[in-house]
Amino acid sequence: MSNAMNNTLSQTTSNSPASAVKPVQGLIRGVILALACWVLSTPLTTVTGSTAAAVGCLFACLWMDRQLRTSTLLQLRAPALLLILAVGLVLTSTLTTLLVQSAVLANLLGAIVLYQSGQSLFWFALAASVAIALRHTARRHSWGAIPELLFVASAFVITLAAHQRGMIDRPYFIGDFALIRGMDPTTILMGIGVAAVLALAVLLMMENQHRRLPYNASILAVLCFSLLFYVQFFGLPTPQLTNDLGLTGTEGSGSSANNDSPFRDGENNASDREAPVAIVLFRDDYEPASGAYYFRESAYSEFNGTLLWTAENPDLDQDLVDRFPSSPIDVSNEVPAQQLRRRVTTTIGLLAPHRSPFGLDAPVRFEPAPNPNSLRFRQTFTVESLVPEFEFPDLIGRKAGSSTWTLQQWAEYLEMPDDPRYGEFARQLTATLRPEFADDPYAKAMAIKAWLDENGIYSLKNEHAYAVDPAASFLFGDLTGYCVHFAYSATYLYRSLGIPARVGVGYSVPSANRAGGSALLIQAVNGHAWPEIYLEDLGWVIVDPAPRQTLVDMSVDPQDSLQQLLGDMLRDDAAFQAFLDDQAGASAINWALTLRLASALVFALLLLAYAIKMYRVSCIGWANEQALYRLAYRAALDILAAHGIVRRTGESREAFARRVAQGLPAFQTLSNAHLSAAPGYAFDPALVMAGGHKHAASTVPEFTRQQWQLQLADMREQLWTRQRWWQKMLAIVHPVPWLQSR
Amino acid sequence: MQVMEAQTVHSTDLDHAREVMSRLTQAVKAQVLGRDDVIELALIALMSDGHVLLEDFPGSGKTTLAKALGEAIVDDQPAHQKTTDASGALVPIVPFRRIQFTPDLLPSDVTGSAVFDASTNSFHFRHGPIFAHVVLADEINRTSPKVQAAMLEAMGEKQVTVDNQTYPLDPLFFVIATQNPLDLVGTYPLPTPQLDRFLFKLTMVHVERDAELEVLNTWQSRRDKQNTRIHVGRTEILQARHAIDAGVYISDAIKTALVDISRALRADERILQGNSTRSLVLILPALQVLAAMRGRSYVNADDLETLLPPVLTHRVELAPGSSDFVKILRDCMRGPMEILARSTLNPAP
Repeated sequence: MSNAMNNTLSQTTSNSPASAVKPVQGLIRGVILALACWVLSTPLTTVTGSTAAAVGCLFACLWMDRQLRTSTLLQLRAPALLLILAVGLVLTSTLTTLLVQSAVLANLLGAIVLYQSGQSLFWFALAASVAIALRHTARRHSWGAIPELLFVASAFVITLAAHQRGMIDRPYFIGDFALIRGMDPTTILMGIGVAAVLALAVLLMMENQHRRLPYNASILAVLCFSLLFYVQFFGLPTPQLTNDLGLTGTEGSGSSANNDSPFRDGENNASDREAPVAIVLFRDDYEPASGAYYFRESAYSEFNGTLLWTAENPDLDQDLVDRFPSSPIDVSNEVPAQQLRRRVTTTIGLLAPHRSPFGLDAPVRFEPAPNPNSLRFRQTFTVESLVPEFEFPDLIGRKAGSSTWTLQQWAEYLEMPDDPRYGEFARQLTATLRPEFADDPYAKAMAIKAWLDENGIYSLKNEHAYAVDPAASFLFGDLTGYCVHFAYSATYLYRSLGIPARVGVGYSVPSANRAGGSALLIQAVNGHAWPEIYLEDLGWVIVDPAPRQTLVDMSVDPQDSLQQLLGDMLRDDAAFQAFLDDQAGASAINWALTLRLASALVFALLLLAYAIKMYRVSCIGWANEQALYRLAYRAALDILAAHGIVRRTGESREAFARRVAQGLPAFQTLSNAHLSAAPGYAFDPALVMAGGHKHAASTVPEFTRQQWQLQLADMREQLWTRQRWWQKMLAIVHPVPWLQSR
Repeated sequence: MQVMEAQTVHSTDLDHAREVMSRLTQAVKAQVLGRDDVIELALIALMSDGHVLLEDFPGSGKTTLAKALGEAIVDDQPAHQKTTDASGALVPIVPFRRIQFTPDLLPSDVTGSAVFDASTNSFHFRHGPIFAHVVLADEINRTSPKVQAAMLEAMGEKQVTVDNQTYPLDPLFFVIATQNPLDLVGTYPLPTPQLDRFLFKLTMVHVERDAELEVLNTWQSRRDKQNTRIHVGRTEILQARHAIDAGVYISDAIKTALVDISRALRADERILQGNSTRSLVLILPALQVLAAMRGRSYVNADDLETLLPPVLTHRVELAPGSSDFVKILRDCMRGPMEILARSTLNPAP
């Protein structure tokens, strides 16, 4: 035991000179870790708490760097240190609890201050402990930097994960910043990703011990490649969001269909049915013939063995869009019968989170819209819809389904539970049709709808949710249920007659609610599911049963004033502009353009600078023989300046050459040659003009072009062996050494 | 072709001058140990026709230095070229004289005086100790201003006047004056205008430990070898002076820098009185000698940096409260030296 201890100690001691931390490095590392701490703690605590976490982490890092050799705490073995940290954390959290619960202090300081200080204390201690543990591990073990890297990486990954597919979640500011300006948040998120990679790279570069580099580089590679593979094979994961579709909420949230059935039992209550869910602004006037606006969000069309569920087959339901637009999205499937439809544009502001965007039947294009109030609207987008204006003659006499469908699609749209009762019952219901309509799909559908209207009983309380097939339990049982039961039953009945059908899910709002205005409030109570059939050359047609008998009062008071207020809020361009101005500092500058121009300018300047740098060094190859003494020396000065070696103000050239001469004798030679060849310094130019010789006693021979070049090459070589690698790198990238050479 | 030949001769002259200087240096260095910097400056003063004021402690080798310098010079001029006085008699010039200045010294003790010769029934001039190549004026601040004035006239004009009769001194007349920085009781400090006649004022410090040991180890051998010393002819030195004067180039840039530095010094508020124009005139030959010594045919910024402190230190009067002249000088030099350094990169005119 003591032997092992000694080993560790001696190893640490022997390592310490090599791993001496430079103050700047330590500071950079500390700042990166502190940022990670801040990002990780943001969703968990108050602003004060997360700030305290960042400060604590930075403090701990700097303290660790200072205390390297002196502190006995850092000489402890890792488990002992971890134990001490854990005990310290428990003590701190106890102290925090005491602090927050103390009535005396609360009366004295106020509850908020006390809570904030408690949070600060705890998060400070937590972040400091984590930082100490991380730094300690990093110092002790050759793999030690891996936890540090993982810590920083996780901070960025978590930040980004909350923003998948443009979702807004904590921290809000990233998404909000982009969305209120109508920008694509992807750019910002990618910027954060780049920052993450940079931060990790900086951590790696600061590694003094080179045998650790393989570990660190490989972990970074694993992180990057795992992300790549994940996206490649599994696609981007869908965020888990609560479903606020409302009372008759028909949408499950998970991927396992069997557990999440759209059928619910008596738990449904109507307490928050008036909750506003979304506000719709009509850009075109439109009054539906059916008396209700249908907003389709998704549809259940694929039979999964138990019931109909969201299609996983990409061939089905191509008219649905499953992600929010960050750039305009065109619905891939072309809507048929455009001459019988009208183009209606609406802007929708979501007040509750949704999984996918919805629009008036049938949406063809989604566009992101500027969010005038990100605290009020979760998401805003503009939808173009081709709303149906079918008359009865248009509907009658059509074939069911589409001739362009594949057999597979046909089969999917007709698949249903293996229950013969549906078919028998459907034929029984359609048997009474007049002969001219006996084979007409729409007539059959209407007959079934009429029967359900007549005999169904609307109720939120029911017992069907526990049956294997709740729809059958409803249809062949007490016929008491809510819209989902009606929709499923009707869909199964249609399918049993060979009419392709599906369950549409979304909102259905009575057109009277609009009350003549251009805003329409969607409330939780409007959540709805309905059956749709597909008619040749018309597309999906909603055939929605409306039971006459109802056991529950689903009517709500009209919310005209709220509807108007929200509509104005979404519509008010002036207020939106004022808000934008407020955010952008009341300037009308086009930031994106300015930024682009500025970066172009910087780029051009950089190019120019490098061109000048190249020219000044290489021009001795072709310059005038008479000017060589000057240009070659200037080139040497440029090279030295790039390496950070510059003559001081007032320092003579001779003194400068002497100062630099150590390890760089070629420069001394160059300098002497230059000075003794300088007219007006080493000889009288007038005398030379008159034909005299330059020097009374020539001590330094004049250089030829080749000699100048040779000396320069020598100097470069000597410089190259003298300088450290990072100095060489800096010298290569230095754009303006010619500003410093003199 | 003509030009080339002239140039060859020229170059040889300068090399010869350099050789003369190195021989002189050797001769002095053999006698004075651990004082290489002082020897170099003293030699520069000798070659550039200036004089040196040494400020040092007693027994620190001032006399040894002056004596070694004086005795290294031999009078090699033919008899018909020797200096004669007004009466046609030869002026007896000796290599080295030392004058100990005391408060009761009279000017005639320095210059010499007319003495009545009973046999010829006339006065004739007896030359004083000042008629020598190298004169060591020891403790020059201990004598009366009258004697100092006589001494300084000789230094400035290369002549002495006694009884309205002017006697020229040898062209190679070089004074090393000394004064003790301490022990100032009963002295007549030299006023600034008189100090201006000295090219350099050198403050010597004690020699280093090893050099001091060396002095002790070799004093006997040096004493015994006195007759086998290296000698330099007087004419050689004068020729060397001429060669350096003609062959070493001082650029306008250097002169500009000199003037600008002086002006900056005079304008500096830490300085009560700046240096004279004469100092700038005196420094030019010194710069040339230093450049030649360093094997160059032109004066460069290095020479300027080396010579400005010993030339200027005793010529300026500092304002009360400031003490470090070298620092002030460095501040004042920065601008002109920067211009000088940049001038070499300017395209040729």
